[in-house]
Amino acid sequence: MSTTFLNHSAVMAETQHIESSCCSCFFLYDRSKVQEEGDLTRAGICYYYPEHTPLDQQELVCGQLAGVSRCVSEISASPVRLLRLRRSKYAIRMRDDFLWALSCISDLPDVSLCAFLDQLIDLFCFYNGSVRRTYQLHTQEEMAVRWARYLSHLQGGATELHHIFTCLTPTDCTHIDPLLLLKAALILQACQRCPLVLAGCILHRGRMVSTQMSPELTMKVMVHEAETYRLQEQKKQSSRRSSFVSTAHSSTTTTPVFLTPSELHMLRRPLVGNSVSCRSESPERPVKPRLLSRTLSDTPITDPSSSQMLASSPDSSLSDDASFSLCPSLASTPFRASIASQPGEEDATESHDRSMAGEMLLFEGLAPPGGKGENSKQGDDLSAGSEDENLQALRDTRERKGEGAGLEDYIIAKRSIREECVKVCEQSDVVLEPMLLYEHRVRGLVLLLLVEHDFDAHPNAKQEVQHSSLASLNGLEAHLRTIPPATETPTAPYTFAHYDRIQNTLTTNMYGRATGAQERLFVKATALLHSHFSNEDMLQEAIIRSASCALYATRTAAQETFFVQQGAPTRNSGIPHSQDSAFSLPSKARHRLLKHGVKLL
Amino acid sequence: MAAKSSLLKVILLGDGGVGKSSLMNRYVSDKFDAHLFHTIGVEFLNKELEVDGRRVTLQIWDTAGQERFRSLRTPFYRGSDCCLLTFGVDDSQSFINLGHWRKEFAYYADVKEPDSFPFIILGNKIDVMDRQVTSEEAQRWCYDNGGHPYFETSAKDATNVAEAFEEAARRVLALEDRQAHVMPSDVVDMRRKPRSGSRCCL
Repeated sequence: MSTTFLNHSAVMAETQHIESSCCSCFFLYDRSKVQEEGDLTRAGICYYYPEHTPLDQQELVCGQLAGVSRCVSEISASPVRLLRLRRSKYAIRMRDDFLWALSCISDLPDVSLCAFLDQLIDLFCFYNGSVRRTYQLHTQEEMAVRWARYLSHLQGGATELHHIFTCLTPTDCTHIDPLLLLKAALILQACQRCPLVLAGCILHRGRMVSTQMSPELTMKVMVHEAETYRLQEQKKQSSRRSSFVSTAHSSTTTTPVFLTPSELHMLRRPLVGNSVSCRSESPERPVKPRLLSRTLSDTPITDPSSSQMLASSPDSSLSDDASFSLCPSLASTPFRASIASQPGEEDATESHDRSMAGEMLLFEGLAPPGGKGENSKQGDDLSAGSEDENLQALRDTRERKGEGAGLEDYIIAKRSIREECVKVCEQSDVVLEPMLLYEHRVRGLVLLLLVEHDFDAHPNAKQEVQHSSLASLNGLEAHLRTIPPATETPTAPYTFAHYDRIQNTLTTNMYGRATGAQERLFVKATALLHSHFSNEDMLQEAIIRSASCALYATRTAAQETFFVQQGAPTRNSGIPHSQDSAFSLPSKARHRLLKHGVKLL
Repeated sequence: MAAKSSLLKVILLGDGGVGKSSLMNRYVSDKFDAHLFHTIGVEFLNKELEVDGRRVTLQIWDTAGQERFRSLRTPFYRGSDCCLLTFGVDDSQSFINLGHWRKEFAYYADVKEPDSFPFIILGNKIDVMDRQVTSEEAQRWCYDNGGHPYFETSAKDATNVAEAFEEAARRVLALEDRQAHVMPSDVVDMRRKPRSGSRCCL
């Protein structure tokens, strides 16, 4: 249950220092271990951060929070999302008998705190599978290492702004030739010729260059990239020899991962549509997907056992749409067959794809970061009303975007929202599907692919993927290497943060941590307004100010932008008048942000 | 000589669609794909081979032929040991453009004496029925422009592809040998560039 009392002036005036390692307490508590009167609370503590906390104190916190959470959720008959104490607040998640709680040092908005916790849990499940099963198979010590790793990954390198939006930092596209982004997108598409490949993303120096996955999935696979990079660096240092002798020496690995049914459902939808969704902002639109796609007949998979994976229809003229695996491999034929039965209607399929893509865009735009969006977005309230609001928002989104009237889109999105709601309400450990994460590293460039779990066992799949991507990866790496890492631009007389809600990325000219008083104010005000935007769907523009600065914020379904003009004469006596500098902020923001690629309407 | 790095950079240049990527793929992976998309910028693959008893790694750089990709590809000409100028025998314009490609390469690779740089000319797509460039025309061009070797290839049928790349490796090695003979080996690196391939030393 969340109760929010916002005191604007207090928030603006407060200049408390914000740490980058923002997590102050995190634990996982297993209620099923503590049933009887005599059971010790410590038996239920699976993981506690900070790890050196005295056990008595751990028991105190876990026992009380677990008790309160259970009590509140039983009284209110809805899952607890946030517990606000006098000096701190905890994001809570309850699932089966497990309870997670997270609190932060800095005063993160409620939405961000809940999203952070969701992200952490999702990360764990992505790499380990079901929590219950994982704790049956492994010791608590082994799992403690992993929780610590994910926790440090989510905090490492991220600034307060990133925590507020729980988002990714993309490669600075303003320095990169758009053709190279197209090249990256084409590499991903070429990999998808192998029917076992679901989706991929390309990272350079730890930053996202191109992705076909949802922002949430991209964030998850990036953890693996960071981990292998760290291991590689360690190895390099210990062996003390340069691995850069030959550029051809690239390494590939696969690691097991687990996807939720809804993630898998998204991925197994027609992949052409999927990639269209990430093309929405990229410059490769002029290229017709039809031209890029290569037919399956070209893939020389000769092994007879592969025919099963290639689906029963050898009808390669059917084009790639059908050749991509559309639905769970266990039951792949029916769905495929339904598409395969209309070989003459390629255009229809394509437009269907496109509408699917449109739907995905809308849906992603709707879902706030952190997966189980609706919940964190609306606090605890998951009544029917909230669903209607979602639908309303969806309708608005579509209207605003001027998309064609796709009733079908609307219905499917409606259905998926309902599914999502049901899932969140049940709060049960969903059955996760085992998959593989394939990684191919060429120096600073990494190709990550989500592949079916039998990818490793397939005789040709890996070779096929390597063959279709190696030369281009080498080339892309050579191109990107020549681009110097983004240097900090000379200090501009303004600070901005632009949050892309669809791609879940943040663009800002504030690098590193907020050090100056002005910057801290910016972060605080941004946090406050982001929180407002999340809570109030109708809010589109806001100016918030203290005695010393004014922040302008605007949002659409696709983005949120925050802007502060520095050194502007403060002429706000409290009574609004036309000379007030704050009123010129919207036009200044529009004008200034154009060169950062941010277009405000 | 033994310590010399055996990584040889060869670069494929020529109009878009003449089959540069297909040649590279055929040679390195022994695969052919009739529906390859335009190459964007540059790509490369390494291939280890043995030429006259010496192991070398051929780093084959494939480039985009279209004019709009020019700024992306030209920075990568530098440091090439051999240039494979490619045209399609079914496309006379690509043959006419060979001279432009040669000039572009010499300019951006900063080749001081293009006449002695190892160029190899490839007439690709000989599997196609209606030829627009005859073998004689191509050979005459090679003769008139510095006596470059000429190969007629087909990436589709794997005709002459390996031969052409091996010849490239052989030419580079031969050139390096000659230079190594002319100058003491430990100063080669310092003075090699300005005197690259100066024939008068022979």
